[in-house]
Amino acid sequence: MNVRRIMRSDHVAGWAFAFPAVALIVAFGIVPIVWSALMSFQKTNLLSTPEWIGLNNYRALPKDPLFKTSIVHAMIYAALFVPLSVGGGLFAAVALNRRIRGIRFYRLAVFVPVVVSTIATSIMFLWLFDPNFGLANWLLGKFGLGPFGFFTSSDGALYSIIAMTVWGWIGFDAIIYLAALQGVPQELLEAASLDGARSWSIFRNITLPLLGPATLFLVVFSTINAIQVFDEVYFLTKGGPGTATYVPVLYLFTLAFQQGIAGYAAAIAYVLLVAILILTVIQLWVGKRMVYYAS
Amino acid sequence: MSQASEIRAGTALPALEEEAGRDPRGDRFVFSWWHLVLFPLAILMVVPMIWMVITSVETLNETRHFPPILVPSGIRWQNYTDVLQRAPFARWFLNTLVVTVVVVAGNLLFCSLAGYAFARIKFFGRDVVFILVLATLMIPFQVIMIPTFLIVRKLGLIDTLGALIVPNLAGAFGIFLLRQFFRSLPIELEEAARIDGASRLGVLFKIVLPLSGPVLATVAVITFLWTWNDFLWPLVTIYNPDNMTLQLGLTTFQGAHQTNTHLLMAANVMSVLPVLFLFFGAQRFFIRGIATSGLKG
Amino acid sequence: MPGLTFDHVSKEFPGGTVAVRDLSLAIADGEFMIFVGPSGCGKTTALRMVAGLEKITSGTITVGDRVINDVSPRDRDIAMVFQNYALYPHMTVQRNLAFGLKERKTAKAEIERRVAEVSAMLGIDDLLKRRPAQLSGGQRQRVAMGRALVREPKAFLLDEPLSNLDAKLRVQVRGDLKRLHQRLGITTIYVTHDQVEAMTLGERVAVLSNGVLQQLGAPQDVYDHPVNLFVAGFIGSPPMNLLRAEAKAGVATAGDLSLPMAGLPDGDVVLGLRPEHLRPATDGQPSTEFQVEVVEPLGDGVIVHGTVSGTLVTAPSGDDEVLPRLAGDRAEITTKFEPTLRPSPGERMRLAIAPHHVHVFDGRTGDVIVQATA
Repeated sequence: MNVRRIMRSDHVAGWAFAFPAVALIVAFGIVPIVWSALMSFQKTNLLSTPEWIGLNNYRALPKDPLFKTSIVHAMIYAALFVPLSVGGGLFAAVALNRRIRGIRFYRLAVFVPVVVSTIATSIMFLWLFDPNFGLANWLLGKFGLGPFGFFTSSDGALYSIIAMTVWGWIGFDAIIYLAALQGVPQELLEAASLDGARSWSIFRNITLPLLGPATLFLVVFSTINAIQVFDEVYFLTKGGPGTATYVPVLYLFTLAFQQGIAGYAAAIAYVLLVAILILTVIQLWVGKRMVYYAS
Repeated sequence: MSQASEIRAGTALPALEEEAGRDPRGDRFVFSWWHLVLFPLAILMVVPMIWMVITSVETLNETRHFPPILVPSGIRWQNYTDVLQRAPFARWFLNTLVVTVVVVAGNLLFCSLAGYAFARIKFFGRDVVFILVLATLMIPFQVIMIPTFLIVRKLGLIDTLGALIVPNLAGAFGIFLLRQFFRSLPIELEEAARIDGASRLGVLFKIVLPLSGPVLATVAVITFLWTWNDFLWPLVTIYNPDNMTLQLGLTTFQGAHQTNTHLLMAANVMSVLPVLFLFFGAQRFFIRGIATSGLKG
Repeated sequence: MPGLTFDHVSKEFPGGTVAVRDLSLAIADGEFMIFVGPSGCGKTTALRMVAGLEKITSGTITVGDRVINDVSPRDRDIAMVFQNYALYPHMTVQRNLAFGLKERKTAKAEIERRVAEVSAMLGIDDLLKRRPAQLSGGQRQRVAMGRALVREPKAFLLDEPLSNLDAKLRVQVRGDLKRLHQRLGITTIYVTHDQVEAMTLGERVAVLSNGVLQQLGAPQDVYDHPVNLFVAGFIGSPPMNLLRAEAKAGVATAGDLSLPMAGLPDGDVVLGLRPEHLRPATDGQPSTEFQVEVVEPLGDGVIVHGTVSGTLVTAPSGDDEVLPRLAGDRAEITTKFEPTLRPSPGERMRLAIAPHHVHVFDGRTGDVIVQATA
């Protein structure tokens, strides 16, 4: 009788419902987080028995030129990618937020790259930016620029990748901003225009502050994305030419799965995690002081 | 307010997808200066794709030409059949489809069950477990990739589709989104159903889920995009070309046919088409999904 | 006999709020019982414990001779009508009605027979193909009733089922409900905060306040003989006038009103005077001077608001609608006259009351000391 009571209680029902998902998340989320932390104190190649080496992996990091290079690249990447994609998304959203003829086509054109995979995008841009036969060099040539080596040039490869990823993400940022723009109460804008404000002033003083939460989300999200950039770099340049486009996750991947230095790779992973958390906290903290949340 | 409108209000999301009307003044020939901004912007966004499609029907010689040939002499569909002959493209497509369908179905089922438990059932340890689940939302995959690889290897799943399916069958994102939505439903409906004789499972499947169409679609679409476009995880776990997904297959194809640009573009068009079709068909859900969530593959 | 019994039932929510305290009452088979009280008095919680939607902290609830404390809602064989009806928005009326029967694996032919029968009885048979969103408020209410009736349950629970209807419809449905109960004779608990519904519908009413049962009895009996200040103030519209008074040597004095009440013990008391019992005084009657302020003709009578000297007592109801009505050292009271008697604002008149109509309550405990005789 008592067993039956327990069997039919909410505790059993709740656990039964939650168990499959929770078990999966523990096995492939929680356990790896902890394991990763342990691993970063070990010397292991994923095959042999790990050997405990304390903080050695972390001590080695600052002396590793490739690690430092990859961090510098990640910082350049983030410093350009975040403002360009967020700003571009805002610009596109403002332009798309009106009822004019053809707006459906314009929106579709801006949104479509969002669903195209990074690899497919990379293949397109590899061709577009082809140094010999690419459309880009031809068009730029008409303005007397180039020819450029793009992904093949040590100076230009990182910036070419940034240009491509901005193209790929503008639609995403525009969707978020457009949703936020449509949440701006029309009465506010009307009230401001009755107060005699000009369009630019209305945008700066009313619309932009109300978009604060969206901006904060996008800045945080894009920064995290920038630090994690991998697919396009791996596919397009493998970090080259030389180490011109080496980024942390590529380094981590190469170490763990190609060179079998997994403990050291785990340390890099944890440094990335901490960096992301710190950056996020800073951004949220700054955001809290600057962003106005409507009720 | 009626129940139905309450429920709809719970899912109320910006009507981005709505047909943008004509100029409200009714004059369709009013010229907006915004066209001068929007038109170049749209061109900039579509040119890489149009260029890809054009190249995919050119001959090899046409691609090896500078200045580029914008209008090919003829449409060479043969490029597409060539691709299918040179690489197990159908196989990759099928693999991706199987992985994506199973992962989407798994997420809908497991996230619904867990989301409902977290939303409505008071069970021991619920809040702690929920916070733990949410915490995984903050962890970038790259950080946990190495141990996850070891776990999947231990399960004997390396170089099988299972490696791509099993770890992704449930995610914190789906659980969170569904829980939030379930909590916004009027609880009296569920109470009425329980008094009417439905079990917990019956309440979920006969009352709650039929009312959760839009949010389920959002979870499905996001999971779909994520899985279909994933690259890093297949790269780490799949080696045999027969087990590859489209994204991974494309990279090997690119490696083998670097100079056959016309074939590469044909292959790429084929890899993008399914997602584009789905996007055009279910635009509403894609845009809503992205607007509510913000995750791209 | 399937009746329904509360035996020392309490409900304490996590955090210590006691919603229902030691509730004991027995509802006879086929009885129409009303739970009435202000919001937060525990009436809905009591109902939800019967339905199995809230766990019982202590005590037992029995249906027939079966303790249902640990029985899940689906196995209790009890039907409930919710305040907002809780119709399944994605199902047609037909499927809404059939849902409970299907869940109980009733044969298909039987389901169809019962749905047809109940929908004909409630006059919703031409709505069966519609969805709830396509129904008017009154129609939804009837579908909600139908969904409960179709199951032929052991007991019928109604949680403020009329509160979402407009005033006219409410009167009509009230009548329908009473007829339906007379015809089917299902044990019913009806929760309401509306004392008009409580008076008109029930065979017995249970008045609750702060989770405690205050009085249980036939509506007229509760109206005529309230056992304490709370019930006195809550039942009746306009409410009973409650004046602070002092009893000394068989005379109760409130302001300029002195009523001889033989046998009344000395001390602080509260006098309860129903508006309809206050009459213009004839010479020699003990009376109080009444200054008329507002006159509200109702057609079949006149409600007159004004002041008398004295101090008003506010019933401890917790209900927002009953506010202390103090006008300096004068107390605001209400009377109800025949339509022929219509004083004008500003007029002064003397009011009297027959001593046997006066309720006397203890000034400290609020319990009744002297019951009025009708």
